[in-house]
Amino acid sequence: MLFFAVGFMIWALSNSLESRQGFEQTVAIMTHPLAKFITWGILSLIAYHLLAGIKHLIMDAGYLETLETGPVAAKVTLALTAVVIVLLGVWVW
Amino acid sequence: MVRSITNLSRSGLADWMVQRVSAVLLALYTLFLLGIFIANPGLGYEQWQHLFSIFWVKVFTLITLLSLVGHIWVGMWTVVTDYIHNAWVRFIVLFAIAVTSFVYLITGITAVWGV
Repeated sequence: MLFFAVGFMIWALSNSLESRQGFEQTVAIMTHPLAKFITWGILSLIAYHLLAGIKHLIMDAGYLETLETGPVAAKVTLALTAVVIVLLGVWVW
Repeated sequence: MVRSITNLSRSGLADWMVQRVSAVLLALYTLFLLGIFIANPGLGYEQWQHLFSIFWVKVFTLITLLSLVGHIWVGMWTVVTDYIHNAWVRFIVLFAIAVTSFVYLITGITAVWGV
């Protein structure tokens, strides 16, 4: 999903930098309610991927890999992601 | 030892390193952009265009684009080789991912290059 989301992001970057019209067109599209919802979705995908990635980096360092700490880290990651998704929602709307 | 030829680099360990290094770069760039958006609500074209005209921002963006392609390839390769067991289908999917990633890279570079 993120792979396709990246496509939208690169399109938006290219469009918005191309010219003033491109920028305004991108902004106009992104203020559309459906586009806002998709943007929120993409930001949530990134948030989860980022937080889970950080957990993985920690695990690479040798922590959070026991039977006790592993599940805790997973739950913390999910809880953090939920909080961030709500914040992103507020920010997008 | 199974000798894979479709992964990004010669060894699984090198892929592992590419994945981690690119991840850190991508995270930094994400936080950088987030900071820009939060610090500049109602960002206009001038500010946006000016941002990408700054040299080190261009360098940061270009290295992030390269990291993105590396991160995508290692990540998607891992997923695809885990789940798609038919060699032909797997090859076609990997090829499609490679071409799409390349289009992402070129589109990104041309977007930033001309600013």
